Amino acid sequence: MTQTTAQPTGGQELAPERVQQMKQPRRPRRGLGFPGLLMAPAVIFMAGLSIIPFLTLIGMSFSRVRLLGGAALEWRGLDNWARALTDPNLWTSWATTVLYFVVTVGLELLIGIGVAVALHRVLRGRGLVLSLVLLPMFVAPVIVGLLGRYLVDPTFGLYTNWLQAVGIDIDPLGSPVTAFIAVALMDVWEWTPLITLITLAGLSGVNPSVLEAAALDGAGRTRTLFHIIFPSISNVLLVAFLIRSMDAVRYFDIITITTNGGPADATKIVPLRLYETAFRFFDLGYAAAIGLMMLAVTIAMAKVFVRLLDRKGLAQ
Amino acid sequence: MSTTTAPADAPARPPKRSTGLSFDQKMTPGGTVVTWVVLGVFLLWTLIPLVWMLLGSFKGGDDVTAADPKWVFTPSLENYVGLFTGANNLLPYIWHSVVAAVVSAGLSLVLGTLAGYGLSRTRMKRKSDLSFWIISTRMAPIAAVVLPLFLMFRFAGLIDTLPGLILAYMTFNLPFATWLMQAFFAEIPPSLEEAALVSGCTRWGAFWNVILPLSKAGLVTTGILCLVFAWNDYAFASVFAGPSSQTLPIAASQLVTQTGVDWGQLTAIGTIVVVPMVVLGLAVKRWLVTGLSLGAVTGE
Repeated sequence: MTQTTAQPTGGQELAPERVQQMKQPRRPRRGLGFPGLLMAPAVIFMAGLSIIPFLTLIGMSFSRVRLLGGAALEWRGLDNWARALTDPNLWTSWATTVLYFVVTVGLELLIGIGVAVALHRVLRGRGLVLSLVLLPMFVAPVIVGLLGRYLVDPTFGLYTNWLQAVGIDIDPLGSPVTAFIAVALMDVWEWTPLITLITLAGLSGVNPSVLEAAALDGAGRTRTLFHIIFPSISNVLLVAFLIRSMDAVRYFDIITITTNGGPADATKIVPLRLYETAFRFFDLGYAAAIGLMMLAVTIAMAKVFVRLLDRKGLAQ
Repeated sequence: MSTTTAPADAPARPPKRSTGLSFDQKMTPGGTVVTWVVLGVFLLWTLIPLVWMLLGSFKGGDDVTAADPKWVFTPSLENYVGLFTGANNLLPYIWHSVVAAVVSAGLSLVLGTLAGYGLSRTRMKRKSDLSFWIISTRMAPIAAVVLPLFLMFRFAGLIDTLPGLILAYMTFNLPFATWLMQAFFAEIPPSLEEAALVSGCTRWGAFWNVILPLSKAGLVTTGILCLVFAWNDYAFASVFAGPSSQTLPIAASQLVTQTGVDWGQLTAIGTIVVVPMVVLGLAVKRWLVTGLSLGAVTGE
């Protein structure tokens, strides 16, 4: 682009009003201004796809939703909310969700950071290894679930076969504890690479002179890692953690397609209960109350995320 | 806004050896072994399921469900042939998937690029509120979004239509594209447009001729990630898609029936769903860090 090299000195030939414009960039504008104009179409679109559904969801949560012949709302006051707050099954689901979240995100962070540290030590061939490591992220979650079922099938599954070979004869998806572990591991398989990717970017950004100084001061590898490297990439790790956290409540395809919440509700995290409530029992009003609870959790996490970006000057 | 400047996959320093894999020269032999054990185990854990899926898709007859898993077998194309002939032809599903993913990604990219540029350059007072609204829209739990959309779509007759599916995908792709393009544009110093304005460009001209060409990487990355998110969706499609709009992930899930699962065809569909996304995803590997951390961490 030739324009990119244009110098402000070219302004000699400019019309006076344009020079005037450049001198007063903060002059109050009428209307939206150019940035506002560019934002308008997307904002209008998003309002339709986000604010209207949000208001609808609030309306639904205070109603009984009738689906016969279109859709109609019947005012029910706080019924759905009272039920949501007292439903022991829902609270069990929240507990399952928290456990699922702690296990998956915890393992993903632990393994993801470990692999990133290992990968960071590799100099040649890192690109290739990283490419291979990243593959699971692009696999549709529903395929991850189906593939998982194929691998742990009690009769012909590759992994169950290997487990049998070492004396463990189980049907992983057949009993509550093993099913929970199995679906959690499928999530770990898919999303650990994201943590590795983000952590690796953080590691590559650590100032080499700091590391040299640490080495000169006689700091060992482990001490350097825990006292210098991790503190200096703590923001990057926090970003990875927050993104995974928000997505952990977002995606539930893997569980839907493998256990659909079973056996004995062992894997029924909140979004699955919402789907069941809405699209199997067609109690959309109650489901809406559950949905708003989930939304509140996500918004709280998004708030932390944005605040972190602002404070650290990562955004804007 | 960057926390890091080096590419994620670039060597930290020039390699010492010219061939093969080499390590940080200060590494102890024990450290080298540990590093490779960690990576080796992790690579096996990552790759075995994918390789097993790929192999399964080429297994004919009962090989795919042999009680003694077969690594060596006579390859066959019968699963793929079966997917495109007979009663369950996969072509309509592929078409629906392509249309829903490409159109939702394309529209999101166009609107999101304009809005992202506006957002990166605006000086409006409520900018942080607007940013927060956008990011929370992207992050909203799918289950909570599906519910009101289901009601609205029923009302508007959009259930089981491709436009409905496209709109549903835009609920997450449009805020994603806006946010991410904003992050890419924020990296470009405003002095570039100012220079263009001084030399006689209009504001639109400065954006179109100066800024956009500098943002090619951002545009491609954003477009591809939008495509991947929409293509891989199951939760929305399972509610909104009917016979005339079913996508590939739905086709895959439908092979799971009461009477059993055709694992040969399933691994074949899996391969068809996965391969294009892997190719596209790796094509933008350099910018994946920026893209998937929503611009919070830059790897470039």
